[in-house]
Amino acid sequence: MRQRFHIDFVKNSKIFFCISLGIMLVCLVLNIFVIPTRVDIQFTGGTIVKYSYSGNLDEKKVSDAAQKATKETVSFTFSENLASSDSNSHMVALEFTNSKAISVDEQDEVTEALTKAFPKNNFKVEESSSVDASKGANFFYKCLAAVILAAVLIIGYIAIRFKKIGGLSAGVMAIVALIHDLIIVYFVFAMFNMSLDDNFIAVVLMILGYSVNDTIVLYDRIRENRRKMGPKATTAEVTNASINQCLTRTICTSITTIAAIGSVLVVSLIFNIDSIISFALPMMIGLVSGCYSSICVATPLWVMWKNHSDKKKAEKENKNKRGSKKAVRDSKKKSDKKSDKA
Amino acid sequence: MKRIGKPVFFIIFFLILFLAYTSVFGIYGENGDYTLTYIKGIQDIRWGIDIKGGVEAVFAPEKGVEATDDQMNAVKSIIDLRLVNQNITDYEIYPDYSNDRITVRFPWKSDDTEYDPGEAIKELSSTAQLVFRGGTEQDGEEILTGKDVKNAYVSNIQGSDGTYQKVVSLEFSDEGKEKFAEATEKYLNQQIGIWMDDTCISAPTVQSVISDGNCYIDGGSDGFTTEDATALANKINAGALPFNLSVESYGTISPSLGTYALTAMAYAAVAALAFILLFMCIVYRLPGFVAFIALLGQLAISVMAVSGYFPVFASFTMTIPGIAGMILSIGLGVDANIITAERIKDELWTGKTLDGCISNGTRGSLAAIIDGNITIIIVAVILILVFGPANIFSALFGVSTTGLIYAFGYTLLVGVIANFIMGVGASRLMLRSVSGLKFLRNKRLYGGKKKS
Repeated sequence: MRQRFHIDFVKNSKIFFCISLGIMLVCLVLNIFVIPTRVDIQFTGGTIVKYSYSGNLDEKKVSDAAQKATKETVSFTFSENLASSDSNSHMVALEFTNSKAISVDEQDEVTEALTKAFPKNNFKVEESSSVDASKGANFFYKCLAAVILAAVLIIGYIAIRFKKIGGLSAGVMAIVALIHDLIIVYFVFAMFNMSLDDNFIAVVLMILGYSVNDTIVLYDRIRENRRKMGPKATTAEVTNASINQCLTRTICTSITTIAAIGSVLVVSLIFNIDSIISFALPMMIGLVSGCYSSICVATPLWVMWKNHSDKKKAEKENKNKRGSKKAVRDSKKKSDKKSDKA
Repeated sequence: MKRIGKPVFFIIFFLILFLAYTSVFGIYGENGDYTLTYIKGIQDIRWGIDIKGGVEAVFAPEKGVEATDDQMNAVKSIIDLRLVNQNITDYEIYPDYSNDRITVRFPWKSDDTEYDPGEAIKELSSTAQLVFRGGTEQDGEEILTGKDVKNAYVSNIQGSDGTYQKVVSLEFSDEGKEKFAEATEKYLNQQIGIWMDDTCISAPTVQSVISDGNCYIDGGSDGFTTEDATALANKINAGALPFNLSVESYGTISPSLGTYALTAMAYAAVAALAFILLFMCIVYRLPGFVAFIALLGQLAISVMAVSGYFPVFASFTMTIPGIAGMILSIGLGVDANIITAERIKDELWTGKTLDGCISNGTRGSLAAIIDGNITIIIVAVILILVFGPANIFSALFGVSTTGLIYAFGYTLLVGVIANFIMGVGASRLMLRSVSGLKFLRNKRLYGGKKKS
């Protein structure tokens, strides 16, 4: 078979593992000490109200006016209103730090106070959301349960379909790659200071699908090459050949998919649509991670597992050899059978 | 290899172009001032509130109150009525009977910039005012209110001609019994209006004096359908609810955030498609072009499934996760074709005949495509079951914001099925058919070596 690339992925796997773990470690340290994770009130519960207003106002005065109108403690974030064509338009986000839903009446009181204090500045509610804490947590657990259920079924499916190359190990490694990608997606959200919300779940789900598909295409090639290259070829050889043969496909598929998301990202950056940026950017990075993890994490790990279990088998057979001659013959038969099967 | 007729390519090609065009632009006619929609296009897609802006609110009975299913139905029907009264017809409403919650979502009314969402939410959750009034005018004498009604339910009554008909039976409280007896005497053979807030929901004519506190409303000469009768009973019960509604959570997204979003997404889609066309034609040549046509077909099916192209399938609310699902399915569609094209390329380098290569290449790639897509289907189906109306986890977690992630599962599932039809089925047929054309039999067109 024509093979354009000759990269020894298995031998270099330690380098890849180091790269992955290194990136994660750096992100983790940053995440803990520099950029904390923001969890959207969708999961934690709470209330955020965003107002737009025109003209320049003393931020302190705005905060005071709003704070006076409510009993809850409020934190304020001021920014320019980029969505508006008016360059003098600003936005202020009020976050009620108490993690419970604030009633519509209470919110109205704040709005009224602001309009009264600054009648010329045209205060307007642009966005508001208010979620009860118990409901938010529920939603989160439900998402988690769905992802776990999906993972279990995927392992099951791979175990059945790829029995010939040690289905269970293949399934588990596909999930390891998946977890790798999800961690990366999580760090993208954390590093870009985007809060974990609906979009996070959407990206996680999409990467889950993409990563598993990528890994399966590779497994399929390994399954086929195992048959073609015969029992003499080592697992590492078969795997390397398979990855290299699939490399063009992996690159081309990634280019087209990333280009599709990339155009969404570029356009939403131009139009400054926050809700779509916070979904296209992590998705793009997740896609890169998804194809990297199937090549450089899942399959090399699977080779390691395979070699390890083969070694164990060999040790067992060695023990048998020391026994009677009959036992030797038996085990030989067995191992022959095994290699036929493989 | 079995040859596929040459015309097959052109038939599929034009069919896909037709589907793609109509699914995007729809087919409209004009009848005087009205625009008739024969086939719904992209402009008819209902966009979710995360894209277009809108309001979402979750209502629940006051703290500590457990509502029965009937009471929840009553709450739902009153919210229905109030939304329609506010001229909002494009809403979604999801009652959750196990947790006593009702989720309502509605987009911004187009060209209404002064709309106050807080006011709207308050109005939806306010206590229903049910009043029976003499006559059909709203300022008619007040006879009794929702408090005097014990229960309203649908029952069957045998008419004089022996057939059964649906009626709404009312039971009054002791106080209501007296008030109603007086009123039926006064308004005998006249109408009594039943008002919910500012809407007259029924105006039956009093046929006899009723003093035992039990009466029924029949549907007049036409009779009630079961739905009509149930709706009326629910509305009357809503006026007699023993609890107030509280707003458990709500969210509003202003329409100004959504205005650009759709134009932007359209630009992005065109740019992405143009890139894929170029890329596929350069890298994979003829199979790449065929793959792009199949991709158009796949996209057309996905759009149709959302816009309600075929009237039998209801239209679907499109959200950001929905778009994510569509993009993933496009990625899978392109992937299926790339895998096949790569295989054909590999085969060509071994120096076999063109037909043999296409045949081997398509066969060899099938296992990978099927395994990959089936795992995706597993994911999509789980999401639909967990976050959709079936909600298999409802016993554990209750209903939460269902719509958003359900949309991902839905578009993904439709996309993968469309991928099997177009990216796998149609694209293979087209490739085999087109390879029968003499001037397209050069192996270079399929990624082979210079000299065949």
